[in-house]
Amino acid sequence: MFFSEIHERIRFVFLISIIILIAIIIKVFYIQVFSYQKLNTLAESLWSRELPIKADRGLIVDRNGEVLASNVTTVSLVVVPGQIKDPEKVAHDLSDILQTNYQDMLNHVTKSTSIERVHPEGRRLSYDIAEKINALNYDGVYLLKESKRYYPYETVLSHVLGYVGIDNQGLSGLELYYDDYLTGADGAIKYFSDGKGNKLELTEVYEAPTSGITLKLSIDINLQLAIENELDNAMTKYNPEQGLIMAMNPKTGEILAMASRPNFNSNNYQAYQSEIINRNLPIWMTYEPGSTFKIITLSAALEEKTINLFEDMYFDGGSINVDGATIHCWKAGGHGSQTMLQVVENSCNPGFVHIGETLGTETLMSYINKYGFGKKTGIDLNGESSGILFDVNKMGPVELATTSFGQGISVTPIQQIRAVSAAINGGNLYTPYIVKSFLESETNTLIKEVTPKLIGKPISAETSALVRYALESVVANGSGKNAYIENYRVGGKTGTAQKVQNGHYLDGNYILSFIGFLPANDPDIIVYVAIDNPKGVTQYGGVVSAPIAKNVLTSAIDILNIAPSKEGMAREYTWLDKKYIILPNVIGMTKKEATKALKDFKVEYSGTGEEVIYQSPGSGYYAPEGETIKLLLG
Amino acid sequence: MKKKRMDYILFFLSLLICIFGIIMIYSASSIWAEFKFNDAFKYVKQQTLFFLIGIIVILITTKLDLSILKKKANLILAICFILLLLVLIPGIGTVRNGSRSWFGIGGLGIQPSEFAKIGLIIFTSKYLANNKKNMKDVKKGALPIFLVIAVFFLLIMLEPDFGTAMVITLTLVCLIFVSGLKISFFVKLGIVGILGIVGLIIAAPYRMERIVSFLNPWSDPLGSGYQIIQSLYAIGPGGLLGQGFMKSRQKHFYLPEPQTDFIFSIISEEFGFLGVIIVCTFFFIIFYRMLKIALKCNDLFYKYLVFGLAFGLLIQASLNLAVVVGLIPVTGVTLPFFSYGGSSLLVSMLSVGIVLNISKNN
Repeated sequence: MFFSEIHERIRFVFLISIIILIAIIIKVFYIQVFSYQKLNTLAESLWSRELPIKADRGLIVDRNGEVLASNVTTVSLVVVPGQIKDPEKVAHDLSDILQTNYQDMLNHVTKSTSIERVHPEGRRLSYDIAEKINALNYDGVYLLKESKRYYPYETVLSHVLGYVGIDNQGLSGLELYYDDYLTGADGAIKYFSDGKGNKLELTEVYEAPTSGITLKLSIDINLQLAIENELDNAMTKYNPEQGLIMAMNPKTGEILAMASRPNFNSNNYQAYQSEIINRNLPIWMTYEPGSTFKIITLSAALEEKTINLFEDMYFDGGSINVDGATIHCWKAGGHGSQTMLQVVENSCNPGFVHIGETLGTETLMSYINKYGFGKKTGIDLNGESSGILFDVNKMGPVELATTSFGQGISVTPIQQIRAVSAAINGGNLYTPYIVKSFLESETNTLIKEVTPKLIGKPISAETSALVRYALESVVANGSGKNAYIENYRVGGKTGTAQKVQNGHYLDGNYILSFIGFLPANDPDIIVYVAIDNPKGVTQYGGVVSAPIAKNVLTSAIDILNIAPSKEGMAREYTWLDKKYIILPNVIGMTKKEATKALKDFKVEYSGTGEEVIYQSPGSGYYAPEGETIKLLLG
Repeated sequence: MKKKRMDYILFFLSLLICIFGIIMIYSASSIWAEFKFNDAFKYVKQQTLFFLIGIIVILITTKLDLSILKKKANLILAICFILLLLVLIPGIGTVRNGSRSWFGIGGLGIQPSEFAKIGLIIFTSKYLANNKKNMKDVKKGALPIFLVIAVFFLLIMLEPDFGTAMVITLTLVCLIFVSGLKISFFVKLGIVGILGIVGLIIAAPYRMERIVSFLNPWSDPLGSGYQIIQSLYAIGPGGLLGQGFMKSRQKHFYLPEPQTDFIFSIISEEFGFLGVIIVCTFFFIIFYRMLKIALKCNDLFYKYLVFGLAFGLLIQASLNLAVVVGLIPVTGVTLPFFSYGGSSLLVSMLSVGIVLNISKNN
């Protein structure tokens, strides 16, 4: 009886024991199976130490793949304090090699952290120094690969490209705007460490870094070099305060080239004042555009049909009275009686005041808004300005008059070139852009292509054709003559804008501009030049900026492979100009006949025979009087 | 009295488990030992020494006439009582891990509370055997022995060594439960016990921290939750089959003193769930063999003695495992046969020796 009761209780105790042991086993099973992921991840992060390997930043290349921003590999010093056995000696030797303070170095090597980057004295070490440190062969002292940004073209395109800081972070320009794309994923050497920071003799894992994405720009480096060259020449020749040139494809909004003066070297941006490195003039600068803005007024009047370019007449007596204020024409005494086309050719201010009046305030301002003035264009760069327009409700006749010829309002060059592009490309307003596509860094396979972004249609294609005609006429016959290129159809408009300071116009201080495009019937390129306060020269855009634009357009002919044309307007000549004559076709003539036909030119013969079988330049092209014409006889 | 063969399964299983323990002590301690003493084998050598002494103790114990234990039970208890008093005196007892529970003798430590466990089991067994009729009566039978237990409990709590005190108390309560005392008494005892634990927590707030850290170790990952987090970091990544022998990462200065209370974490880390099953099976078989011996035993004193020793081993093992896997708060109990520590190993092997003797002679 007694024993059986003991046995019952023993069974009970035995059962409890088994339950406890099973509970323990279940708990372990739970920890090792269900909490495995969580605990393993946490434990890995406790055990693992990472020595970072910097990823290469994505390349920036021009539209033809030429590299504009690349990387050079450097090394930097990293210490793992837990693995350093003799901190004093290590600190002493390292500070010797790097020629830095011993105490600072001792602080680095004894810091209670898992990994310490010796910053900044241990960054971007030269090969010699890296070799010396390597030769010491200390435990816990590592040299890790780093990547440093390098701009092979130095000052070229510097405002657009921008620059990066010491940690390769984009600080301005495209480097900042596309920092997320350009920044790669850093790799690491991972190893397991014990509780005291020592490296365990377990497997070391190498995680390769992933380079950033390559940006392919719409920029053409050859055209860019051409405009940089033109700007340098203009700086030398006129010593202006500032200058800018940009080129765009008017049919898409792609920026082909963009430069400012003063500029800087992206490799060494610290050496320049912040005003210089921060001001990308084509998007930052705002000023009264002057006469190039007349293109907007003209296109609005043509679209609204308030004027007839060929039939309507305007008499310019040298000034016009608007609401009691007298507005003078730039030409003393005025242009006299003109067709509307001649008003445009002559850039006659009273004429444009008249055109503005035919439109009225609200209509003109609605076109200005449709052309995107007063708002940022949305180009893929930081630091863009909006410009300032008159409030349409507060505009009187004087404000309407000055706006009509581009004064009293303020615009950015990028707004101006975009609006004029729309006026001449068939009426389509595009968002300008610089990055054309995103490429995978290793294989250069396309990740994403940027397509032109049409945001409005301020005028019709027919009106646009009339604007092109008028602007070609300005270059052929009017104030833009200096941009005329023989055998090519150039359209354009000059601008001479007085600068404003503290609400007053400055005397003799102008921004001289020219906007020109080519070919005038179907433009492939539009160029905008603005020179701020050039010295020692007549203050007209047609004198200073038009020749610069002509040079840029001439370069563009070769670079963009633009075909010549025989259908352009003939240029109007003054006695000062060299005369251009259309070359006759002499192929098939005898030597005598050919010589007679080419009496205004020098003729060089080659080959033997009596009949001309080849001529250069070919027939139909303009050639200046006295030019050498080569003929092949056979 | 008929001579029987000693329980060889129990004997060899005990040796096997000790050898496994020594191997695991090597794996768990070599890093710390190398760091502290420049000798990776420091702990293994000492433990092996105690293991050899332990084998001698088993062999001697199996040859002894155990009736002396019954005769001298009072004396043994008195010696344990005096030792527990002496250890509390600064200068005689030394402090380790916050408890004044050691006699330092020639670089080795002896824990009197470990020996008091055996002493109390012997005394209680004798008491229960002699008073089997009085045990029906709470006042005459149960109260005196509970008073004795309470005195020892308080003495050990003065060190303080909550873990060992709990093991001893639970073991003796189980033993008295088996002897057939009324259930209602244990219910009352349970209530008193819970109130007592609450009182102890109020007396020493660090125990509350341990309980909080048990519920959410991540609330104080560098303080009270540190040990249990480090233990989970060992067990979790072990998975089903473990990292492999000697491949523990947590022993590399993450888990403090991995060769003592938390050796089971390292076993789980290196051998995974499989290792856990093996260790639990070891303890279960030892417990089961001992119960069988007790049940076959005709003499009441020996029967209770075997029960007491079996309960002692299993309760201590269960408490340790439950702590290590995070089922109960950290109490500071070693894992019998596995954890590093001479006293713990000798007492465990002495227990086995006594049970083997009884298996042979009764």
